[in-house]
Amino acid sequence: MSQTITIDPVTRLEGHGKISIYLNDQGEVENANFHVTQVRGFERFSEGRPFYEMPSLMARICGICPVSHLIASAKACEAIMAVRIPHTAAQLRRMLNLAQMVQSHALSFFYLASPDLLLGMESDPMQRNILGVAAAKPELGRAGIGLRRFGQHIIELLGNKRIHPGWVVPGGVTEPLSSAKRDEILGMIPEAHRNLHLAIDAYKQIASTFKAEIEVFANFPTNYLGLVNEDESIEFTDGALRLIDAKGATIEDGMTATRFTEAIGEAVEPYTYTKFAYYKPLGYPEGSYRVGPLARLNIISKMGTPQADVELAEYKQLASGPVESSFYYHHARLVEMLYGIEKIEEILSDPKILDTHVRATAGVNRLEGAGQAEAPRGTLMHNYKVDENGKMLWANLVIATGQNNNAMNRGVLQAAKHYVKDGKFTEGLLNRVEAVVRTFDPCLSCSTHAFGQMPLEIKLVNANGELVDRVVRG
Amino acid sequence: MVGSRSTVRCLILACGNTLRSDDGVGTRLAEWAEERFRTNEDVRVVARQQWTPDLAEEIAAVESVLFVDSSIKSPPGHVHLDPVEPQENHNGSVTHHVDANELLRLASELYGSRSVHSMLLTVGAGSTELGETFSDRVEAALPRARGVLEKAVQRFLEN
Repeated sequence: MSQTITIDPVTRLEGHGKISIYLNDQGEVENANFHVTQVRGFERFSEGRPFYEMPSLMARICGICPVSHLIASAKACEAIMAVRIPHTAAQLRRMLNLAQMVQSHALSFFYLASPDLLLGMESDPMQRNILGVAAAKPELGRAGIGLRRFGQHIIELLGNKRIHPGWVVPGGVTEPLSSAKRDEILGMIPEAHRNLHLAIDAYKQIASTFKAEIEVFANFPTNYLGLVNEDESIEFTDGALRLIDAKGATIEDGMTATRFTEAIGEAVEPYTYTKFAYYKPLGYPEGSYRVGPLARLNIISKMGTPQADVELAEYKQLASGPVESSFYYHHARLVEMLYGIEKIEEILSDPKILDTHVRATAGVNRLEGAGQAEAPRGTLMHNYKVDENGKMLWANLVIATGQNNNAMNRGVLQAAKHYVKDGKFTEGLLNRVEAVVRTFDPCLSCSTHAFGQMPLEIKLVNANGELVDRVVRG
Repeated sequence: MVGSRSTVRCLILACGNTLRSDDGVGTRLAEWAEERFRTNEDVRVVARQQWTPDLAEEIAAVESVLFVDSSIKSPPGHVHLDPVEPQENHNGSVTHHVDANELLRLASELYGSRSVHSMLLTVGAGSTELGETFSDRVEAALPRARGVLEKAVQRFLEN
């Protein structure tokens, strides 16, 4: 008899999701889906608002990565204004974005992933959490908290609030950086380095014990998308996008935000509220791709800071071409955090960083604008249309998690097929299926958007698990 | 946030969502405490939408903690002040929200903090629907809650 295994909710993720695993009559896995079960509506209720409100509104999508939305939204507004922001404002935004990346990656690695990595995939689920890590490895628990504090305090110093700071506005930022704040941030750098190196050393010690997981955790060829600078170094705030194929060859380079809106489509499936992004010239699903730390490190040739470049060289030895196993998202996150700490220190040594000209002003000069940035989880794009008075007519957001959606679903199926045999499974094996999704560090609250009428499938199942009725719309 | 870290003896740690009616009572009490203890270097007030593991570090740096929150387990408007002890994890799903017991346990596990005196002040919630005002019973309970909060902090500081 066929059977469905449901993991609901999927734990240690941002947002709400569930996994369904469908077994055939022989008890073998036939299919699996990752469902995002939240419904939001940001693109709809922003219609009618003044465009300059959008950064502040859009930041409220998320409490972990609001800075990413602030920056992508502000850039979309600046495209409407047709302005270029001052150099100092660009540097300050870059620093804010990197601080967010460090604290977000710290949350992902220490709070969400480390219980599996440090305590074991089969460890007692009642202990497999941050409290269990704190008891077993207190120095790592302190390091995680310290790195979260590092990133969040920088955000608070720059934007006056650690969550949903209002400092990033269309045209730049509202206040320059003071010398006191600059010095305070510089004083935090050494401890951040110590904390991160503890994590890197700990990860390298345990990584080799996960050979089996590395083989089946969304380990397959895909395309990859991410921002890159002209000198082939990593970029999170400006730069242009590059799409590469599974062998590392460039499919398209120099993609601006406007080109993104033309080249990237979004498909919908009836079992989830998150859309599936794809590169239109290749169609869906062949044009699917991955974003985020794994993708970024596959695209670039260098980080651009000394210690991170050493770590990158070691990381690149994992494969002769692009690194494919999503398990290595964890490693890539650590390399990016190191870059973030080094780059923040470098930005603060810019002689213009205390300059007081930090905002450009203009009205509506174009009726459509798009902005892109790298969120911790991957590429983020905001696209807006306004009327002559700057009233929002339409908005579309393409979120990192939606761009990873195809890979997450394929990864869940790959892991389920490996770990669920003859209809038999244990809690630890199901935890591994969840852990595949955790490697992507998805932000489910950001990723769910309704546009038009959503395809919807409703199944009515009786107490015996038998399908009684089914209704499909769209 | 009142006292600087090096002088603080008592941490008032509140949580609540001010857009969810009575759930915001902890945050409102924190705002009152921020003003009430504005000139007292021994007191620090931190209000968050939810308590996160990072707060263990703040707890470890002080002698005493007063947690302030709404409660859906108490009748609406009921004010309770109860001791809090570090506790074993009991639901297995701790991620980016922890309760007062778990925070104390984290502070102990990570920072060896074992001498923290701690109490939990709760106000029973009548409604947690979308809204920025309190239900009548919670609004009526605020003066008593403030009184309990003030006395608790004074007792902490006298010890």
